[in-house]
Amino acid sequence: MELWQAVLIGLFAYLGRNQVPWLFGTTGGWYGIGRPLVAGAIIGLILGDVKTGVLCGVAVQAIFIGQITPGGAVPSDLNLAAYIGIPLAMVSGGTPETAVALAVPLGALGVGLHNFTMTTQSAFAHRADKFAANGNARGIRMANITGTSISFVERFFIVTLTCYFGASFAENILNSLPAVVLSFLAVGGKMLPALGFAILLNQITSEKWMIALFILGWTLTSSLTITTTTLVFIAVAIALVYVMAKYSGNKAQALAASMKGDEYDE
Amino acid sequence: MMSNKKLTKKDVSKASWRWLFFHQSSHNYERMMGTGFCHSLSGSLEKLYEDDKEGLSEALTRNMAFFNTEPQLGSIIPGVALALEESYANDKENFDPEIIPSTKNALMGPLAGIGDSILVGTLNPILLSIGIGLSKDGSPLGAIFFMIVWVALVVALKYSLFIKGYQLGLDTIKILMNNELKMKITTALTMIGLIVIGGVASTTVKAPIIVQFTSGDMAITIQSIFDKITPNLPALLITLASYYLVAKKGWNSNKLLIGILGFAFIMVLFKIM
Repeated sequence: MELWQAVLIGLFAYLGRNQVPWLFGTTGGWYGIGRPLVAGAIIGLILGDVKTGVLCGVAVQAIFIGQITPGGAVPSDLNLAAYIGIPLAMVSGGTPETAVALAVPLGALGVGLHNFTMTTQSAFAHRADKFAANGNARGIRMANITGTSISFVERFFIVTLTCYFGASFAENILNSLPAVVLSFLAVGGKMLPALGFAILLNQITSEKWMIALFILGWTLTSSLTITTTTLVFIAVAIALVYVMAKYSGNKAQALAASMKGDEYDE
Repeated sequence: MMSNKKLTKKDVSKASWRWLFFHQSSHNYERMMGTGFCHSLSGSLEKLYEDDKEGLSEALTRNMAFFNTEPQLGSIIPGVALALEESYANDKENFDPEIIPSTKNALMGPLAGIGDSILVGTLNPILLSIGIGLSKDGSPLGAIFFMIVWVALVVALKYSLFIKGYQLGLDTIKILMNNELKMKITTALTMIGLIVIGGVASTTVKAPIIVQFTSGDMAITIQSIFDKITPNLPALLITLASYYLVAKKGWNSNKLLIGILGFAFIMVLFKIM
Protein backbone atom coordinates (compact mmCIF):
# COMPACT_ATOMS: atom_id res chain seq x y z
CA MET A 1 0.00 0.00 0.00
CA GLU A 2 1.24 3.47 -0.86
CA LEU A 3 1.57 5.99 1.96
CA TRP A 4 -1.00 8.34 0.37
CA GLN A 5 -3.52 5.54 0.28
CA ALA A 6 -2.99 4.76 3.96
CA VAL A 7 -3.30 8.48 4.79
CA LEU A 8 -6.58 8.78 2.87
CA ILE A 9 -8.01 5.68 4.56
CA GLY A 10 -6.98 7.10 7.95
CA LEU A 11 -8.68 10.38 7.11
CA PHE A 12 -11.96 8.72 6.15
CA ALA A 13 -11.76 6.54 9.27
CA TYR A 14 -11.55 9.72 11.34
CA LEU A 15 -14.46 11.35 9.46
CA GLY A 16 -16.58 8.25 9.99
CA ARG A 17 -15.70 7.89 13.66
CA ASN A 18 -18.36 8.26 16.31
CA GLN A 19 -18.71 11.89 17.51
CA VAL A 20 -16.82 13.54 14.65
CA PRO A 21 -18.80 16.63 13.58
CA TRP A 22 -17.81 17.31 9.99
CA LEU A 23 -20.37 15.22 8.07
CA PHE A 24 -23.61 16.43 9.70
CA GLY A 25 -22.51 15.07 13.05
CA THR A 26 -23.20 11.45 13.76
CA THR A 27 -25.57 11.16 10.77
CA GLY A 28 -23.06 11.28 7.92
CA GLY A 29 -20.15 10.14 10.07
CA TRP A 30 -20.68 7.18 12.40
CA TYR A 31 -24.04 6.18 10.92
CA GLY A 32 -22.99 7.15 7.36
CA ILE A 33 -19.47 6.59 6.04
CA GLY A 34 -18.63 4.71 9.23
CA ARG A 35 -20.88 1.84 8.13
CA PRO A 36 -18.77 -0.98 6.63
CA LEU A 37 -20.93 -1.01 3.46
CA VAL A 38 -19.93 2.59 2.67
CA ALA A 39 -16.41 2.18 4.06
CA GLY A 40 -15.87 -0.75 1.69
CA ALA A 41 -16.79 1.34 -1.36
CA ILE A 42 -14.54 4.22 -0.22
CA ILE A 43 -11.59 1.93 0.54
CA GLY A 44 -12.10 0.13 -2.77
CA LEU A 45 -11.96 3.46 -4.59
CA ILE A 46 -8.75 4.46 -2.77
CA LEU A 47 -7.07 1.12 -3.42
CA GLY A 48 -8.24 1.02 -7.05
CA ASP A 49 -10.56 -2.00 -6.80
CA VAL A 50 -14.08 -0.85 -6.04
CA LYS A 51 -15.66 -4.25 -6.61
CA THR A 52 -13.53 -6.12 -4.06
CA GLY A 53 -13.90 -3.24 -1.62
CA VAL A 54 -17.69 -3.34 -1.88
CA LEU A 55 -17.80 -7.13 -1.52
CA CYS A 56 -15.66 -6.93 1.63
CA GLY A 57 -17.85 -4.08 2.89
CA VAL A 58 -21.02 -6.11 2.37
CA ALA A 59 -19.55 -9.09 4.23
CA VAL A 60 -18.42 -7.03 7.23
CA GLN A 61 -21.63 -4.98 7.23
CA ALA A 62 -23.79 -8.07 7.52
CA ILE A 63 -22.15 -9.08 10.81
CA PHE A 64 -22.51 -5.63 12.31
CA ILE A 65 -25.96 -4.80 10.93
CA GLY A 66 -27.67 -4.85 14.31
CA GLN A 67 -25.19 -2.50 15.87
CA ILE A 68 -26.52 0.55 17.70
CA THR A 69 -24.65 2.78 20.11
CA PRO A 70 -26.85 3.43 23.12
CA GLY A 71 -25.58 6.09 25.50
CA GLY A 72 -22.21 6.31 23.80
CA ALA A 73 -21.37 2.72 24.78
CA VAL A 74 -19.94 1.00 21.73
CA PRO A 75 -20.44 -2.80 21.85
CA SER A 76 -18.01 -3.24 18.98
CA ASP A 77 -16.14 -0.54 17.07
CA LEU A 78 -17.21 -1.26 13.52
CA ASN A 79 -15.40 1.82 12.23
CA LEU A 80 -12.00 0.38 13.22
CA ALA A 81 -13.15 -3.06 12.09
CA ALA A 82 -13.98 -1.75 8.60
CA TYR A 83 -11.21 0.80 8.04
CA ILE A 84 -8.41 -1.58 9.07
CA GLY A 85 -9.96 -4.98 8.33
CA ILE A 86 -11.09 -4.26 4.75
CA PRO A 87 -7.86 -2.62 3.45
CA LEU A 88 -5.63 -5.26 5.03
CA ALA A 89 -7.75 -8.05 3.58
CA MET A 90 -7.66 -6.37 0.16
CA VAL A 91 -3.91 -5.78 -0.07
CA SER A 92 -3.07 -9.26 1.16
CA GLY A 93 -5.16 -10.67 -1.67
CA GLY A 94 -7.80 -11.99 0.67
CA THR A 95 -11.48 -12.66 0.17
CA PRO A 96 -14.46 -11.01 1.90
CA GLU A 97 -14.21 -13.84 4.45
CA THR A 98 -10.68 -12.66 5.30
CA ALA A 99 -12.02 -9.17 5.86
CA VAL A 100 -14.59 -10.63 8.25
CA ALA A 101 -11.94 -12.64 10.10
CA LEU A 102 -9.83 -9.49 10.57
CA ALA A 103 -12.76 -7.22 11.35
CA VAL A 104 -14.16 -9.14 14.30
CA PRO A 105 -11.12 -8.89 16.64
CA LEU A 106 -10.46 -5.33 15.46
CA GLY A 107 -14.00 -4.39 16.45
CA ALA A 108 -13.33 -5.61 19.99
CA LEU A 109 -9.97 -3.83 20.13
CA GLY A 110 -11.62 -0.60 19.01
CA VAL A 111 -13.83 -0.56 22.11
CA GLY A 112 -10.73 0.06 24.23
CA LEU A 113 -9.68 2.98 22.03
CA HIS A 114 -13.19 4.38 22.15
CA ASN A 115 -13.21 4.29 25.95
CA PHE A 116 -9.84 6.06 26.06
CA THR A 117 -11.12 8.88 23.84
CA MET A 118 -14.43 9.20 25.68
CA THR A 119 -12.53 9.56 28.94
CA THR A 120 -9.87 12.05 27.87
CA GLN A 121 -12.31 14.28 26.02
CA SER A 122 -13.72 15.29 29.43
CA ALA A 123 -10.83 17.78 29.60
CA PHE A 124 -12.62 19.88 26.99
CA ALA A 125 -15.81 20.00 29.06
CA HIS A 126 -13.74 21.37 31.94
CA ARG A 127 -12.24 24.02 29.67
CA ALA A 128 -15.74 24.94 28.56
CA ASP A 129 -16.84 25.21 32.21
CA LYS A 130 -14.24 27.93 32.77
CA PHE A 131 -15.39 29.83 29.69
CA ALA A 132 -19.00 29.54 30.88
CA ALA A 133 -18.06 31.03 34.25
CA ASN A 134 -16.53 34.01 32.44
CA GLY A 135 -19.49 34.42 30.10
CA ASN A 136 -17.34 33.61 27.08
CA ALA A 137 -19.67 31.87 24.60
CA ARG A 138 -17.12 31.80 21.82
CA GLY A 139 -14.66 30.02 24.12
CA ILE A 140 -17.22 27.28 24.75
CA ARG A 141 -17.70 26.78 21.04
CA MET A 142 -13.96 26.55 20.48
CA ALA A 143 -13.55 24.10 23.37
CA ASN A 144 -16.31 21.90 21.96
CA ILE A 145 -14.94 21.96 18.41
CA THR A 146 -11.32 21.35 19.44
CA GLY A 147 -12.48 18.37 21.49
CA THR A 148 -12.48 16.41 18.25
CA SER A 149 -8.66 16.66 18.14
CA ILE A 150 -8.36 13.66 20.45
CA SER A 151 -10.58 11.62 18.14
CA PHE A 152 -8.41 12.73 15.25
CA VAL A 153 -5.13 11.73 16.85
CA GLU A 154 -6.57 8.43 18.02
CA ARG A 155 -8.28 7.38 14.79
CA PHE A 156 -6.22 8.93 12.00
CA PHE A 157 -2.81 7.83 13.24
CA ILE A 158 -3.78 4.36 14.37
CA VAL A 159 -5.61 3.52 11.14
CA THR A 160 -3.00 5.08 8.84
CA LEU A 161 -0.02 3.44 10.54
CA THR A 162 -1.69 0.04 10.86
CA CYS A 163 -2.75 0.04 7.21
CA TYR A 164 0.69 1.18 6.04
CA PHE A 165 2.87 -1.11 8.13
CA GLY A 166 0.39 -3.93 8.66
CA ALA A 167 -0.14 -4.78 4.99
CA SER A 168 2.91 -6.97 4.47
CA PHE A 169 2.49 -8.43 7.94
CA ALA A 170 -1.10 -9.49 7.20
CA GLU A 171 -0.04 -10.88 3.84
CA ASN A 172 2.69 -13.03 5.43
CA ILE A 173 0.31 -14.43 8.00
CA LEU A 174 -2.37 -15.24 5.44
CA ASN A 175 0.14 -16.93 3.15
CA SER A 176 1.52 -19.12 5.90
CA LEU A 177 -1.86 -20.37 7.12
CA PRO A 178 -2.55 -24.07 6.45
CA ALA A 179 -5.41 -24.97 4.13
CA VAL A 180 -7.67 -26.29 6.88
CA VAL A 181 -7.54 -22.94 8.71
CA LEU A 182 -8.36 -21.11 5.49
CA SER A 183 -11.40 -23.26 4.85
CA PHE A 184 -12.44 -22.78 8.47
CA LEU A 185 -12.20 -19.01 7.97
CA ALA A 186 -14.19 -19.29 4.75
CA VAL A 187 -17.01 -21.34 6.30
CA GLY A 188 -17.02 -19.26 9.49
CA GLY A 189 -17.12 -16.06 7.47
CA LYS A 190 -20.09 -17.31 5.46
CA MET A 191 -22.07 -18.19 8.59
CA LEU A 192 -21.11 -15.22 10.79
CA PRO A 193 -23.70 -12.84 9.26
CA ALA A 194 -26.24 -14.98 11.18
CA LEU A 195 -24.83 -13.24 14.26
CA GLY A 196 -25.63 -9.77 12.99
CA PHE A 197 -29.13 -10.74 11.92
CA ALA A 198 -29.84 -12.56 15.21
CA ILE A 199 -28.88 -9.49 17.24
CA LEU A 200 -30.94 -7.25 14.96
CA LEU A 201 -33.98 -9.54 15.15
CA ASN A 202 -33.82 -9.60 18.92
CA GLN A 203 -33.59 -5.83 18.94
CA ILE A 204 -36.49 -4.95 16.69
CA THR A 205 -39.11 -7.66 17.23
CA SER A 206 -41.57 -6.35 19.79
CA GLU A 207 -43.80 -9.42 19.59
CA LYS A 208 -42.83 -13.03 18.98
CA TRP A 209 -45.07 -13.65 15.98
CA MET A 210 -43.13 -11.03 14.03
CA ILE A 211 -40.39 -13.60 13.40
CA ALA A 212 -42.78 -14.99 10.78
CA LEU A 213 -42.22 -11.80 8.78
CA PHE A 214 -38.47 -12.41 8.74
CA ILE A 215 -39.05 -15.96 7.47
CA LEU A 216 -41.49 -14.58 4.87
CA GLY A 217 -38.85 -12.17 3.53
CA TRP A 218 -36.23 -14.90 3.55
CA THR A 219 -38.29 -17.51 1.69
CA LEU A 220 -39.72 -15.03 -0.84
CA THR A 221 -36.24 -13.91 -1.80
CA SER A 222 -34.59 -17.30 -1.86
CA SER A 223 -37.38 -19.00 -3.80
CA LEU A 224 -38.34 -16.28 -6.28
CA THR A 225 -36.03 -14.04 -8.23
CA ILE A 226 -37.03 -10.69 -6.81
CA THR A 227 -34.88 -7.65 -6.07
CA THR A 228 -34.65 -6.06 -2.64
CA THR A 229 -36.59 -3.06 -3.94
CA THR A 230 -39.49 -5.30 -4.98
CA LEU A 231 -39.41 -6.83 -1.53
CA VAL A 232 -39.59 -3.34 0.01
CA PHE A 233 -42.83 -2.63 -1.87
CA ILE A 234 -44.35 -5.92 -0.72
CA ALA A 235 -43.24 -5.19 2.85
CA VAL A 236 -44.71 -1.69 2.85
CA ALA A 237 -48.05 -3.05 1.62
CA ILE A 238 -48.19 -5.72 4.33
CA ALA A 239 -47.20 -3.23 7.05
CA LEU A 240 -49.81 -0.71 5.91
CA VAL A 241 -52.59 -3.27 5.86
CA TYR A 242 -51.71 -4.35 9.39
CA VAL A 243 -51.34 -0.86 10.86
CA MET A 244 -54.52 0.41 9.22
CA ALA A 245 -56.53 -2.57 10.40
CA LYS A 246 -55.18 -2.43 13.92
CA TYR A 247 -55.38 1.27 14.64
CA SER A 248 -58.18 2.74 12.52
CA GLY A 249 -60.88 1.24 14.77
CA ASN A 250 -59.43 3.00 17.78
CA LYS A 251 -59.62 6.44 16.24
CA ALA A 252 -63.14 7.27 17.39
CA GLN A 253 -62.41 6.04 20.88
CA ALA A 254 -59.16 7.97 21.14
CA LEU A 255 -60.87 11.15 19.94
CA ALA A 256 -63.64 10.77 22.48
CA ALA A 257 -61.11 10.18 25.23
CA SER A 258 -59.05 13.24 24.32
CA MET A 259 -62.19 15.44 24.19
CA LYS A 260 -63.16 14.24 27.61
CA GLY A 261 -59.67 15.17 28.80
CA ASP A 262 -60.02 18.71 27.41
CA GLU A 263 -63.29 19.27 29.20
CA TYR A 264 -61.69 18.19 32.41
CA ASP A 265 -58.84 20.68 31.92
CA GLU A 266 -61.23 23.55 31.47
CA MET B 1 -38.79 43.20 34.80
CA MET B 2 -40.17 42.46 31.36
CA SER B 3 -37.94 43.00 28.39
CA ASN B 4 -38.41 42.17 24.76
CA LYS B 5 -35.45 40.42 23.26
CA LYS B 6 -36.71 38.25 20.44
CA LEU B 7 -34.67 35.64 18.68
CA THR B 8 -34.99 35.83 14.91
CA LYS B 9 -35.57 32.91 12.59
CA LYS B 10 -31.94 33.16 11.66
CA ASP B 11 -30.77 32.79 15.26
CA VAL B 12 -32.82 29.65 15.73
CA SER B 13 -31.67 28.22 12.42
CA LYS B 14 -28.05 28.86 13.37
CA ALA B 15 -28.51 27.10 16.70
CA SER B 16 -30.07 24.17 14.88
CA TRP B 17 -27.14 23.85 12.48
CA ARG B 18 -24.71 24.05 15.37
CA TRP B 19 -26.49 21.18 17.10
CA LEU B 20 -26.67 19.23 13.86
CA PHE B 21 -22.91 19.29 13.40
CA PHE B 22 -21.34 19.66 16.82
CA HIS B 23 -23.61 17.71 19.22
CA GLN B 24 -20.92 15.21 20.05
CA SER B 25 -17.77 17.07 19.07
CA SER B 26 -16.30 16.68 22.55
CA HIS B 27 -18.51 13.79 23.66
CA ASN B 28 -17.19 12.31 26.91
CA TYR B 29 -18.27 9.98 29.69
CA GLU B 30 -18.51 12.80 32.24
CA ARG B 31 -20.95 15.20 30.52
CA MET B 32 -21.79 13.24 27.37
CA MET B 33 -23.34 15.85 25.01
CA GLY B 34 -23.40 18.66 27.61
CA THR B 35 -20.77 20.80 25.91
CA GLY B 36 -22.42 20.26 22.54
CA PHE B 37 -25.75 21.36 24.02
CA CYS B 38 -24.26 24.59 25.36
CA HIS B 39 -22.42 25.16 22.05
CA SER B 40 -25.70 24.90 20.15
CA LEU B 41 -27.49 27.50 22.28
CA SER B 42 -24.48 29.74 22.94
CA GLY B 43 -25.02 32.18 20.05
CA SER B 44 -28.64 32.83 20.97
CA LEU B 45 -27.75 33.21 24.66
CA GLU B 46 -25.15 35.84 23.73
CA LYS B 47 -27.92 37.77 22.02
CA LEU B 48 -30.43 37.36 24.86
CA TYR B 49 -27.88 38.56 27.42
CA GLU B 50 -26.18 41.17 25.25
CA ASP B 51 -25.54 43.61 28.10
CA ASP B 52 -25.75 41.25 31.06
CA LYS B 53 -22.45 39.42 31.50
CA GLU B 54 -23.55 37.78 34.73
CA GLY B 55 -26.79 36.54 33.25
CA LEU B 56 -24.89 35.15 30.28
CA SER B 57 -22.43 33.19 32.38
CA GLU B 58 -25.30 31.86 34.47
CA ALA B 59 -27.18 30.75 31.36
CA LEU B 60 -24.09 29.17 29.79
CA THR B 61 -23.27 27.28 32.99
CA ARG B 62 -26.88 26.07 33.23
CA ASN B 63 -26.61 24.54 29.76
CA MET B 64 -23.24 22.88 30.36
CA ALA B 65 -24.87 20.20 32.53
CA PHE B 66 -24.80 16.49 31.74
CA PHE B 67 -26.95 15.76 28.72
CA ASN B 68 -27.37 12.57 26.78
CA THR B 69 -29.91 11.42 24.24
CA GLU B 70 -30.14 10.06 20.73
CA PRO B 71 -28.87 13.26 19.07
CA GLN B 72 -30.74 12.91 15.78
CA LEU B 73 -34.32 12.53 16.95
CA GLY B 74 -33.36 14.26 20.21
CA SER B 75 -32.54 17.52 18.40
CA ILE B 76 -36.03 18.59 19.44
CA ILE B 77 -34.75 19.01 23.03
CA PRO B 78 -32.22 21.85 22.48
CA GLY B 79 -35.00 23.48 20.43
CA VAL B 80 -37.39 23.34 23.38
CA ALA B 81 -34.66 24.53 25.76
CA LEU B 82 -33.94 27.50 23.52
CA ALA B 83 -37.59 28.59 23.63
CA LEU B 84 -37.56 28.29 27.43
CA GLU B 85 -34.30 30.23 27.72
CA GLU B 86 -35.86 33.00 25.62
CA SER B 87 -38.94 33.17 27.85
CA TYR B 88 -36.79 33.25 30.97
CA ALA B 89 -34.49 35.99 29.66
CA ASN B 90 -37.51 38.15 28.91
CA ASP B 91 -39.41 37.61 32.13
CA LYS B 92 -37.05 36.67 34.92
CA GLU B 93 -39.47 37.33 37.76
CA ASN B 94 -42.30 35.10 36.65
CA PHE B 95 -40.36 32.26 35.11
CA ASP B 96 -38.63 29.65 37.19
CA PRO B 97 -35.32 28.73 35.45
CA GLU B 98 -35.40 25.33 37.13
CA ILE B 99 -37.96 24.30 34.55
CA ILE B 100 -35.25 24.34 31.85
CA PRO B 101 -32.98 21.57 33.22
CA SER B 102 -35.98 19.56 34.43
CA THR B 103 -37.57 19.66 30.97
CA LYS B 104 -34.28 18.54 29.41
CA ASN B 105 -33.96 15.72 31.89
CA ALA B 106 -37.55 14.63 31.37
CA LEU B 107 -37.20 14.49 27.59
CA MET B 108 -33.74 13.04 27.08
CA GLY B 109 -34.50 9.50 28.24
CA PRO B 110 -37.69 8.89 26.25
CA LEU B 111 -36.22 10.44 23.09
CA ALA B 112 -33.08 8.32 23.41
CA GLY B 113 -35.35 5.30 23.54
CA ILE B 114 -37.45 6.28 20.54
CA GLY B 115 -34.43 7.45 18.53
CA ASP B 116 -32.41 4.32 19.21
CA SER B 117 -35.27 2.01 18.32
CA ILE B 118 -36.80 3.82 15.33
CA LEU B 119 -33.91 5.65 13.68
CA VAL B 120 -30.67 3.82 14.33
CA GLY B 121 -32.17 0.48 15.34
CA THR B 122 -34.67 0.08 12.49
CA LEU B 123 -34.45 2.70 9.72
CA ASN B 124 -30.65 2.52 9.46
CA PRO B 125 -30.57 -1.31 9.17
CA ILE B 126 -33.47 -1.28 6.66
CA LEU B 127 -31.64 1.15 4.40
CA LEU B 128 -28.39 -0.78 4.89
CA SER B 129 -30.19 -3.99 3.98
CA ILE B 130 -31.48 -2.46 0.75
CA GLY B 131 -27.93 -1.22 0.14
CA ILE B 132 -26.48 -4.69 0.72
CA GLY B 133 -29.05 -6.05 -1.74
CA LEU B 134 -28.00 -3.53 -4.40
CA SER B 135 -24.29 -4.08 -3.73
CA LYS B 136 -24.11 -7.84 -3.39
CA ASP B 137 -22.49 -8.24 -6.79
CA GLY B 138 -19.82 -5.66 -5.98
CA SER B 139 -21.53 -2.59 -7.39
CA PRO B 140 -21.06 0.59 -5.30
CA LEU B 141 -24.67 1.53 -6.05
CA GLY B 142 -25.92 0.18 -2.71
CA ALA B 143 -23.43 2.25 -0.73
CA ILE B 144 -24.34 5.39 -2.70
CA PHE B 145 -28.07 4.72 -2.32
CA PHE B 146 -27.71 4.22 1.42
CA MET B 147 -25.66 7.40 1.93
CA ILE B 148 -27.98 9.65 -0.08
CA VAL B 149 -31.27 8.41 1.35
CA TRP B 150 -30.09 8.12 4.96
CA VAL B 151 -28.30 11.48 5.11
CA ALA B 152 -31.05 13.39 3.25
CA LEU B 153 -33.83 11.95 5.42
CA VAL B 154 -32.11 12.29 8.76
CA VAL B 155 -30.51 15.69 8.24
CA ALA B 156 -33.90 17.12 7.22
CA LEU B 157 -35.50 15.48 10.25
CA LYS B 158 -32.77 16.64 12.65
CA TYR B 159 -32.96 20.23 11.44
CA SER B 160 -36.73 20.52 11.38
CA LEU B 161 -37.23 18.80 14.75
CA PHE B 162 -35.01 21.43 16.40
CA ILE B 163 -37.08 24.22 14.83
CA LYS B 164 -40.31 22.43 15.78
CA GLY B 165 -39.12 22.09 19.36
CA TYR B 166 -38.41 25.81 19.51
CA GLN B 167 -41.82 26.70 18.07
CA LEU B 168 -43.77 24.39 20.36
CA GLY B 169 -41.81 24.96 23.55
CA LEU B 170 -43.40 23.10 26.43
CA ASP B 171 -46.25 21.87 24.20
CA THR B 172 -43.70 19.44 22.77
CA ILE B 173 -44.16 17.24 25.81
CA LYS B 174 -47.89 16.88 25.12
CA ILE B 175 -47.24 15.85 21.55
CA LEU B 176 -44.56 13.37 22.51
CA MET B 177 -47.03 11.72 24.83
CA ASN B 178 -49.15 10.81 21.81
CA ASN B 179 -48.49 7.11 21.96
CA GLU B 180 -50.70 6.12 19.07
CA LEU B 181 -48.62 7.85 16.41
CA LYS B 182 -45.45 6.45 17.94
CA MET B 183 -46.90 2.94 17.95
CA LYS B 184 -48.07 3.24 14.34
CA ILE B 185 -44.67 4.35 13.10
CA THR B 186 -42.76 1.82 15.17
CA THR B 187 -44.99 -1.08 14.18
CA ALA B 188 -44.96 -0.26 10.47
CA LEU B 189 -41.19 0.26 10.40
CA THR B 190 -40.55 -2.92 12.37
CA MET B 191 -42.69 -4.99 10.02
CA ILE B 192 -41.10 -3.53 6.88
CA GLY B 193 -37.69 -4.00 8.48
CA LEU B 194 -38.23 -7.65 9.34
CA ILE B 195 -39.39 -8.61 5.84
CA VAL B 196 -36.60 -6.71 4.07
CA ILE B 197 -33.95 -7.91 6.49
CA GLY B 198 -35.18 -11.48 5.98
CA GLY B 199 -34.68 -11.08 2.24
CA VAL B 200 -31.19 -9.69 2.61
CA ALA B 201 -30.23 -12.29 5.21
CA SER B 202 -31.24 -15.05 2.78
CA THR B 203 -28.60 -13.87 0.32
CA THR B 204 -25.93 -13.07 2.93
CA VAL B 205 -25.92 -15.95 5.40
CA LYS B 206 -24.60 -19.13 3.81
CA ALA B 207 -24.05 -22.62 5.09
CA PRO B 208 -22.73 -24.64 2.15
CA ILE B 209 -22.94 -28.38 2.90
CA ILE B 210 -20.52 -30.38 0.80
CA VAL B 211 -21.08 -33.85 2.20
CA GLN B 212 -22.79 -36.27 -0.19
CA PHE B 213 -24.07 -39.83 -0.36
CA THR B 214 -22.79 -42.06 -3.10
CA SER B 215 -24.14 -45.40 -4.19
CA GLY B 216 -22.64 -46.64 -7.39
CA ASP B 217 -22.73 -43.82 -9.92
CA MET B 218 -25.36 -41.91 -8.00
CA ALA B 219 -24.25 -39.01 -5.83
CA ILE B 220 -26.79 -37.06 -3.85
CA THR B 221 -25.64 -33.95 -2.03
CA ILE B 222 -27.33 -33.09 1.22
CA GLN B 223 -27.52 -29.51 0.00
CA SER B 224 -29.74 -30.48 -2.94
CA ILE B 225 -32.15 -32.26 -0.60
CA PHE B 226 -32.45 -29.15 1.54
CA ASP B 227 -32.81 -26.96 -1.53
CA LYS B 228 -35.82 -28.99 -2.58
CA ILE B 229 -37.53 -28.23 0.71
CA THR B 230 -36.72 -24.53 0.51
CA PRO B 231 -33.53 -22.95 -0.87
CA ASN B 232 -30.76 -22.15 1.60
CA LEU B 233 -32.63 -23.89 4.43
CA PRO B 234 -29.55 -24.75 6.58
CA ALA B 235 -28.59 -21.07 6.73
CA LEU B 236 -32.14 -20.13 7.73
CA LEU B 237 -32.05 -22.71 10.52
CA ILE B 238 -28.68 -21.42 11.73
CA THR B 239 -29.97 -17.84 11.75
CA LEU B 240 -33.14 -18.79 13.65
CA ALA B 241 -31.11 -20.85 16.12
CA SER B 242 -28.83 -17.83 16.67
CA TYR B 243 -31.86 -15.65 17.29
CA TYR B 244 -33.22 -18.20 19.75
CA LEU B 245 -29.93 -18.23 21.67
CA VAL B 246 -29.89 -14.42 21.88
CA ALA B 247 -33.56 -13.89 22.65
CA LYS B 248 -34.32 -16.86 24.89
CA LYS B 249 -30.98 -17.95 26.31
CA GLY B 250 -29.62 -14.43 26.76
CA TRP B 251 -26.44 -15.00 24.75
CA ASN B 252 -24.52 -11.78 24.03
CA SER B 253 -22.80 -11.19 20.71
CA ASN B 254 -19.38 -12.39 21.92
CA LYS B 255 -20.77 -15.68 23.14
CA LEU B 256 -22.70 -16.16 19.91
CA LEU B 257 -19.60 -15.29 17.89
CA ILE B 258 -17.61 -18.03 19.60
CA GLY B 259 -20.58 -20.38 19.24
CA ILE B 260 -20.86 -19.87 15.48
CA LEU B 261 -17.11 -20.14 14.95
CA GLY B 262 -17.04 -23.31 17.06
CA PHE B 263 -19.86 -24.76 14.98
CA ALA B 264 -18.01 -23.82 11.78
CA PHE B 265 -14.86 -25.47 13.15
CA ILE B 266 -16.66 -28.75 13.82
CA MET B 267 -18.33 -28.66 10.39
CA VAL B 268 -14.97 -28.16 8.67
CA LEU B 269 -13.24 -30.76 10.84
CA PHE B 270 -15.75 -33.45 9.84
CA LYS B 271 -15.75 -32.19 6.24
CA ILE B 272 -19.49 -31.55 6.34
CA MET B 273 -19.08 -27.99 5.03
